[in-house]
Amino acid sequence: MYDTIVIGAGLSGMLAAIGRAERGEKVLVLAKGHGATHWSTGCIDLLADVDDPFAGIAQLASQRPNHPYALAGPAMIEQGIARLRAIGEAAGYPLAGSLNRNLLLPTALGALRPTAFAPATMIAGDARQLRDGRPTLIAGFAELRDFFPPLIAANLRAQGIAAEAAQLTLPPTGRQRDFSPMTLARLCEQPAFRAKLGEQLAAHVRKGGYARIGMPAILGLKHATEVARDLQNQAGALIFEIPTLPVSVAGMRLYQILEDELLRLGGHIQLGGFVQRAEGIGDTLVAVFSEAAAREQRHTARRWVLATGGILGGGVRATPEGHLRETALDLPLQAPDGRAGWFAPRFLNEQGHPVFQSGVRVDQRLRPLDAAGRLVYENVQVVGGALAGYDPIREGCLEGAAIATGWAVGQH
Amino acid sequence: MDHIELSLIQSLDHCIKCNICTSACPVAAVTDAFPGPKYVGPQAQRFRHAAQPVPDASVDYCSGCRVCNQVCPTGVRIAELNARARAQIVAERGMPLRNRIIARSGLVGRLSSGPHAPLVNFTLNFAPARWLIEQVMGIHRHAPLPKASTYTFRSWFKRHKPATNGRRPQVVYFHGCSTNYYEPRVGKAAIAVLEHLGFEVIVPPQRCCGLPLLSNGDFPAAQRYHEYNVAQLLPYARAGIPIVGTSTSCTLTLKEEAPELLGLHGDDVRAVAAGTYDIFEFLRNLHEQGRLRTDFRPIERTLPYHPPCQLRAHRIGRPVLDVLGLVPGLRLRESRAECCGIAGTYGLKREKYQIAMDVGKPLFDFVRASGQDLALCDSETCRWQISGATGVATRHPIEILAEAYGLAV
Amino acid sequence: MQTLSTDVLVIGGGATGTGCALDLAMRGIRCILVEKGDVTHGTTGRYHGLLHSGGRYVTKDPQSATECARENAILRRIMPHCIEQTSGFFVITPWDDESYGDVFVANCHRTGVPVQEITVAEMLRREPALNPRISRVFEVPDASADSFLATHSVALAAREYGAEIRTYHNVVDLIRVGNRVMGAIVEDLRSGERIRIDCAYVLNAAGAWAGKIAALAGVTVTVVPGKGTMVAMNHRMVNTVVNRCKLPSDGDIIVPIHTVAVIGTTDVHVPDPDVFGIEPEEIQFMLDEGEKLIPGFRQYRALRAWAGVRPLYKDKDVASDRDIPRTFKLLDHEERDGVSGIFSIVGGKWTTYRLMAEQTVNELARRLGNTQPCRTASEVLPVPRFEHRAHAMVTVSPDPAAQTPHYWLGKPLALVESEHAAADLICECELVTRDRIVAAIDAGAHNLDDIRRDVRMGMGPCQGGWCIYRTANLLYERRCADGLSHTHANEAILHFLQERWKGLTPVLWGDQLRQARLDELIYAGVLGIHRLRALAEPGGGLVTQHPAIATEYVQA
Repeated sequence: MYDTIVIGAGLSGMLAAIGRAERGEKVLVLAKGHGATHWSTGCIDLLADVDDPFAGIAQLASQRPNHPYALAGPAMIEQGIARLRAIGEAAGYPLAGSLNRNLLLPTALGALRPTAFAPATMIAGDARQLRDGRPTLIAGFAELRDFFPPLIAANLRAQGIAAEAAQLTLPPTGRQRDFSPMTLARLCEQPAFRAKLGEQLAAHVRKGGYARIGMPAILGLKHATEVARDLQNQAGALIFEIPTLPVSVAGMRLYQILEDELLRLGGHIQLGGFVQRAEGIGDTLVAVFSEAAAREQRHTARRWVLATGGILGGGVRATPEGHLRETALDLPLQAPDGRAGWFAPRFLNEQGHPVFQSGVRVDQRLRPLDAAGRLVYENVQVVGGALAGYDPIREGCLEGAAIATGWAVGQH
Repeated sequence: MDHIELSLIQSLDHCIKCNICTSACPVAAVTDAFPGPKYVGPQAQRFRHAAQPVPDASVDYCSGCRVCNQVCPTGVRIAELNARARAQIVAERGMPLRNRIIARSGLVGRLSSGPHAPLVNFTLNFAPARWLIEQVMGIHRHAPLPKASTYTFRSWFKRHKPATNGRRPQVVYFHGCSTNYYEPRVGKAAIAVLEHLGFEVIVPPQRCCGLPLLSNGDFPAAQRYHEYNVAQLLPYARAGIPIVGTSTSCTLTLKEEAPELLGLHGDDVRAVAAGTYDIFEFLRNLHEQGRLRTDFRPIERTLPYHPPCQLRAHRIGRPVLDVLGLVPGLRLRESRAECCGIAGTYGLKREKYQIAMDVGKPLFDFVRASGQDLALCDSETCRWQISGATGVATRHPIEILAEAYGLAV
Repeated sequence: MQTLSTDVLVIGGGATGTGCALDLAMRGIRCILVEKGDVTHGTTGRYHGLLHSGGRYVTKDPQSATECARENAILRRIMPHCIEQTSGFFVITPWDDESYGDVFVANCHRTGVPVQEITVAEMLRREPALNPRISRVFEVPDASADSFLATHSVALAAREYGAEIRTYHNVVDLIRVGNRVMGAIVEDLRSGERIRIDCAYVLNAAGAWAGKIAALAGVTVTVVPGKGTMVAMNHRMVNTVVNRCKLPSDGDIIVPIHTVAVIGTTDVHVPDPDVFGIEPEEIQFMLDEGEKLIPGFRQYRALRAWAGVRPLYKDKDVASDRDIPRTFKLLDHEERDGVSGIFSIVGGKWTTYRLMAEQTVNELARRLGNTQPCRTASEVLPVPRFEHRAHAMVTVSPDPAAQTPHYWLGKPLALVESEHAAADLICECELVTRDRIVAAIDAGAHNLDDIRRDVRMGMGPCQGGWCIYRTANLLYERRCADGLSHTHANEAILHFLQERWKGLTPVLWGDQLRQARLDELIYAGVLGIHRLRALAEPGGGLVTQHPAIATEYVQA
């Protein structure tokens, strides 16, 4: 019997679990597998398309009282982020940025993405600095199929940044093929490999006088700060990482420091445990059952946190007939009526697609409600992507909303 | 096609190509020979066709550790897809002699154990002999081979007299090949613990669970073994008598591997699967029901513990930590290494030995760094791999539990 | 205005038009082919990929059945790299009329379609996913065909014989002097320039668009565009073409082609071949019909839906649309309408494209005084460079069957394995290597959708999640010296994402909905492509937004 079982191992679930474990609870994170942290950028997006995300959140919360930000409240956003940053700091992986000013970081296409906090390995890519007129080099590897310097540089140039592109020569390694971001990240942890990289970067800097070098986010998995610092020293220019397509090395680092912290606090993690159904008595959730070899495993706890995500995370699933279902506990969902209202005709439509705002409707304490507004379980709280009424990707609040709600349920 | 079979086949449809499996795969991390679980699993599966020639070979480098299954957020049964693909390769191209032999752990055990075991062990420790075996058989000269026992577990059990008599709840013990031929002490500890808890232990006739055959792709032979075991165990399963095992691989095979890979979903197979438990899973259940004796002696030790892949594949958490956590003074440090590398017979093979050692390196480092002279692990081949690589002695956790109960084994 | 001159101007780059161009060129007749999109942009590129045995027509349209049976054998010979020898079943399910089985067999014999009854047990042994309640099974020589590749092969051969093939050239007018058509004005959609093409004959091979072309010459050709909707499922749950043994109707066929199984089709007459949508009811209906053939069909993952428009020609004397035959007809407009210099080839189906071309070119050659015989039935077609190298030995499998000149499902994987090219895959789902993408770019792709049709890039489960990004970058790097700028590359990505979205929305649920959301995270989140909209514009030799090639989906 656990004090708290958190279902889902994304950012919101891990922060909720850490919060509970810090209070001395016996905590289990039960998850089907890895998820959203591994797909995203490794940055902390609070709110896109505003200069001051914290002010933007306050305004948003006043307009949309059921938005996860409004439910969690500004204090939880601040504290959750502060805690996450402290965890990063202690792990030697600091996250830099501000609640009140969005950074603008280059993407792997050369677009400029607003985000509030980024790992120290990315921070030198902020467009406001890049626009200082000094040349920037975008450097990659021909062997890496997820990063193409020429188009990034061309798009940055079109946005007033003096960027050029170069392909680096891969230093000799024990490998002949398969240079995925993960493989390169592992190689970067080898001092000899990065020394060779550093030499090449230094040569480029000597020739081109670059003040900054943008590289794919492959600079190590466990010691990224150190790898970036070494390369920076050797190259004589600031280095910044640019997130690549999933799986995201920077996202994995974020997960890793959270996992380390949770285990340090005595929490447990069980991956490969797909929660399929729930057992409740009245409005109390008593047990859940996870899929296992030959028979289900029953788990019991006093309190529960549902952090399974939305449609992307797997917490919400749609049937061919047009029904949506909450996969773990079969909670009622708030969703558009029928398929006709699910999608906008244009993929990149500004408002996104209504179906992706489907989720669990909750009360002020993030506990699940049914369509009539009645409490379903008094000992369950819902966090992150599983919550209804917002689009974390389009609003640019994927990490922020996860942290705010995850931290909030870790506290009360 | 029944719904279980259908769900296995349909599981490839769940892949959203996200690369989480490939980034977690311990084999892909250390070798180019294996392009990763996504590539050989759900991706390659769309190009396979039972009635056409087998198009691929790199899937053979899958060690079957199932880390991919565990981290996959969408529920693709990657390891099963890979095992079936390998079986198709074997069915089409045949199986090397080496694999035929190492996949028959029961036969090898029977030939090695007994009074002549010291001679066998001497030979297998003799470098020129290992060189010859490597040349002829393709078994790497440094690969960890177990020491044959001078007696079998079954011969010991035949003579064994339970301490108490009278009507007691019954439990079936599935010892597996390793306990029978190489490490009877594990079985003796299990018997001691179960009897201490008030059970009458039955050891019915049994053959190899078939896992080495499954992982080497000889499905027809594995099916014969499995059918034999099901026939032997079925009466107990039907009578509600639990079947417990100390080998996480054997119990996993009975529970899931054999039925799923072989597509055997009949009532008998299902009854045996549903009645089979890893021994610590069984003990944890007893504890949850308040039936586990906790008259432990304190053991003031901090030991490294590696939950083997085959245990993780049960998807039941960490029953060893839950149960041994009850022993006063005993602290287990769980390894977070993905895999020891051996993966049953994988690391024995000449072409895969180095891969296995590279895969296991984080675990070996962890065990060495613990500074302890003993490490715990539920799976036999992993124990041999850890000991072979680090020189640190290894025990099954049940042996520690027996010690905590003060049972002489 | 640039003026070109030729003997025959072929309008339409589908199977029929390119087939005619090849036949003309092989007989030494000068020809120019114009197509408003890419080769196969129209119906040829939007069908399920069945190489008909003729079985589907034995009762209602025996002439078509006989033509199909003959052409089937010829196409296997001349384009083996495009055809997978899947075989085909006609099955009687509990929902079908049991008595039709004997009628079917008798009609197969009458029309020359080879047929053999097999036992249900044998059927289940070969295709375990099929419904065990099927009562009778007839095997026919159906196969699956890659109509993109086939048409490219034909176009390549035509070029080798001297034909000029101009894609992305839209006919804006036909030049008519008195009662004679003398040529056409076409617009090069890449540059907006207009070109005059003078010719002895215009051959209208525009398929479902033939009525629109004929109207430019002032003659009436009634083509009833028959919309057929299809759904591709993520993997091949069957490896044999499976037809319901009944008169052809909606959702009664599953074609295993490449990595997918396509269920088709509906048949809805639409007023305009450029304006149609995919209705949710059509999709649900096909899933229901699929369930009858393959229990559990709804639970499999649907990848994508699309619709093609059949070029059903309605003769002047046909009263009801329902009675339109599936055979083809060559219209001599001089004889029919008193307008000379133009022929229309209408109706027909992919399987008989070569025969249509043969008969059409026979007539044109006669008019032009050319006496060369048709040789298209015997000459094996060349393989485009972007296709898997046909000569590559597949060393992975010692099985001689793997060395067949015919396509087989495992072939792309066998080639990637033998070349150890796993890490060089740009489209991982469909196993498309960097070399093949580059070859498709160098072959003259005008947008990412062309590359998709050439090499199947973006056609697998992730629907371009990773490979759109990768391919667009390769396109940029390959062509930036030729004037393709970052704005054009950005536009190419935005255009293709939207093209994919149209086909996705009808089937987004379950895993595919989750995939679409991951793709959204990639493009709107990680890459922020929408932030580059101001830096995107058509051009650089690419055609992305031209109204002439836009298909308007009214409702998705």
